[in-house]
Amino acid sequence: MARLHVVIPALVHTFIRSKTEYPGAMVLGWLSQFAAYGSMYTAISLILARFGSLGGWVWPEIALLLSFHLLAYSLGASLSFVQFREMEEKVRMGTMDAILVKPISTWTYVVFSGLNIGYAGHIVLALGLMGWSLTQVDVTWTIQSGLLFLGYLVSAAMIVAATMTMIGATALVWVKSNHLYQIFFGFWELARYPLNIFPLPLQILMLTFAPLAFMAYVPVAATLGKPVPLLGDWASAAALLSGPLVTLIAMAHWRWCLRNYQGAGG
Amino acid sequence: MAIIAASGVEKIFRQPKRHAGFGGAIRSLFSREFTEVRAVDGISFKIESGEAVGYLGPNGAGKSTMIKMMTGILVPSSGTVEVLGREPHNNRITNAAEIGVVFGQRSQLWWDLPVRDSFDLNRHIYDIPAPRFTENLARLTTMLDMSSYIDRPVRQLSLGQRMRAEIAMALLHDPKILFLDEPTIGLDVVAKDVVRKFLAEVNRDRGTTIILTTHDLVDIEEICPRLIMVDDGKLLFDGELKHLRTALGSRRRLKLEFGSDPGPIALKTAQLVADEGAAKHFLLDSEQTSILDVLTELGSGHDLKDVKLEEPDIEEVIRTFYQNKVQAGAVP
Amino acid sequence: MKLAAYPAFTATAFQSRLAYRNQVWSGVFGELVFMFARIAIWTSVFSTVASDSVDGVTLPQMITYALLAGPVLYWDYSRLLRDVGTAVKSGDIAVYLLKPLLYPAYMLASHTGNFLFDLLTVTVPVAIIIGFTVGLVPPASLFHGLAFLAFWALSFGMLFLLTTILGLAAFWLMTADSLDWFFNSIMILFAGGIVPLWFFPDWLATIAGNLPFAWVSYYPAAIYIGQLDPSQALTAFIIGIVWFAVLLAVLLWLWAKARHRLIVQGG
Repeated sequence: MARLHVVIPALVHTFIRSKTEYPGAMVLGWLSQFAAYGSMYTAISLILARFGSLGGWVWPEIALLLSFHLLAYSLGASLSFVQFREMEEKVRMGTMDAILVKPISTWTYVVFSGLNIGYAGHIVLALGLMGWSLTQVDVTWTIQSGLLFLGYLVSAAMIVAATMTMIGATALVWVKSNHLYQIFFGFWELARYPLNIFPLPLQILMLTFAPLAFMAYVPVAATLGKPVPLLGDWASAAALLSGPLVTLIAMAHWRWCLRNYQGAGG
Repeated sequence: MAIIAASGVEKIFRQPKRHAGFGGAIRSLFSREFTEVRAVDGISFKIESGEAVGYLGPNGAGKSTMIKMMTGILVPSSGTVEVLGREPHNNRITNAAEIGVVFGQRSQLWWDLPVRDSFDLNRHIYDIPAPRFTENLARLTTMLDMSSYIDRPVRQLSLGQRMRAEIAMALLHDPKILFLDEPTIGLDVVAKDVVRKFLAEVNRDRGTTIILTTHDLVDIEEICPRLIMVDDGKLLFDGELKHLRTALGSRRRLKLEFGSDPGPIALKTAQLVADEGAAKHFLLDSEQTSILDVLTELGSGHDLKDVKLEEPDIEEVIRTFYQNKVQAGAVP
Repeated sequence: MKLAAYPAFTATAFQSRLAYRNQVWSGVFGELVFMFARIAIWTSVFSTVASDSVDGVTLPQMITYALLAGPVLYWDYSRLLRDVGTAVKSGDIAVYLLKPLLYPAYMLASHTGNFLFDLLTVTVPVAIIIGFTVGLVPPASLFHGLAFLAFWALSFGMLFLLTTILGLAAFWLMTADSLDWFFNSIMILFAGGIVPLWFFPDWLATIAGNLPFAWVSYYPAAIYIGQLDPSQALTAFIIGIVWFAVLLAVLLWLWAKARHRLIVQGG
């Protein structure tokens, strides 16, 4: 029905207008998140400074891993996290019903009527750190490898958005699902270190059921030419394909949840 | 062909069981049991294009659930719902483009933005051509008297103003059917009146089919010639409001006033319920018994001054009905 | 209000947490994952050095430090921060002025309940799991064990004061969310919860070691594994008490100002 190239800008425009009444709070939010991530990365760099390397990765390589992790996360999460964390609330208050009677894809409406511009601080920090680390690591860039790197990034962001969507969709059936985000952020925390420092069962888990290894470690290791456990030469292809694959699963799950939506329960 | 057809519709919700007390809380840390709630239980009806139907029932009767199935939000557990010839959930987007929905208790307007911005966004979402949008907006603004507040943020509006804006928003794309879930809830008398008159007019002049849920009978008296009454998920009555009395078995009251006390009177066609001497109250047994029958049986020779037939108050009829049901339920 | 009423708030807070079972499971999971990340990192970096210990600390000691400095001592303060921040922003805090109780004390009582709940349902199970799977070390000596208990109490009080001060600051400053992030950014580094101060460059360790944040995670955990000798521990405890007194004074002063503001300006 609705033409997406008109509706999406209209939704984003309306949402931003509704938020910019409090610009001070927004800027403080950016700064405070920038500070928190900066502080965490400083802590990690202190360990690297004392010990030289972590799992065979030196500081510039770890910095690339951290910045890729943060960039993929903020790109994916700006499309999903806050919107789907509010899903519980939307279901409980019945606002979800009002969204379901609009002649537009529900996912599109939820995502773009809440497109989060609060990740600006993350993105600035991630781009800065990535820019620096790319000049320090030993990679010869070609147009092909540059495009591949962008493809990894898109795929990684897709994993984030798809996983968040799945968790939010679960609220349609269970009413409560926000505790699952805590589990997501558990794996998210693991995903910013080299996978090879973890025990084998955890490595398998992070490459299969909780595929956040593809969010940063696998693509960055493939870029740096480092050996990837279990995947070996398949790392590059897997990094590219994992995002679309998780997205397909998320779409099926989303549909299933919409079909089994209960409202607030009668 | 019917514009809406429901046949044998059921909706069952699963709700987690809660255990009371401290021990219960510990127990629910480890177990998860469900109870099944049958919100809609075998409902069938047909609605023709251009009708205005009131869907009435007490809280928890399954009114909102039925609306949600007709608008494609929920999927029936069994039975079928068809709206404009389609199954609403599987054709959610096509269906949504042709209907308008107003939820009385949850706003579809953007809280921090002027009313106009929400309307404008809907223009894009519903892909309304600019000339038609302008024309509809102008007409609705006049009819609902919105010009004084259309540029004010929604959070500053009164409930009545907001409800008018909600209804206008649901009509901007000229829907064939307008669903309203409790549209007058919480409104003051004046605001209720404005909403009712407007809805009746939209139904009459533009031929928009209206389905509204309510537990306020005046809504139905003023907007909806047809009434569907439900309780406990089951259909109790479907028909014209004036037939409800008969269907529910309530009886009309006849009051006879005499110049002087005629003494005791016993009739076959009417039952004496109160005797004030010069004024006597009877109940008429059935819809077929007319006043003429009673007067014929009474015959002449009485100093009859006045005859008054009292239709029972519909509100009272329904209340009595539910009360009887509760009492009946109380007896094991 | 009688003092006896405050433990009742503690019990209520504890009980009301029982209703959210999913939070318990995901809390255990979250802390376990956090711990496994720490363990993996320390195991990996310790394996790159030739000797058994680094700066006098062995790997099992380092893992014990990580458990104490993280889940045990650095409890989830954001619930408290949000409680105070929201009450301040929404004006609900005025309600507490009508009640015969001291708001900060009420907060202390009810968040002690939350703390005990998390300790019993999350921290202790996590410690047991880590203890059996990876192994934890006992305190360095009886003295260090007892000193740890005293430092633990001080740590709880310190984090409570810091958080409540921050929450009340929402009166004059920003949203509780931003405060949470800013506070977190300081704590990540200066509390020593992620990286102990002995791995810091000297100048940074000196600064961090004298700021009150270090008493939340670093000092108690470092004393448990025996990184400070008795005289160092005593000095640290005295400085900690001074910081505690200063922060308490700041809190009471802020609360008085907030009350004044509420009464004069009506919120």
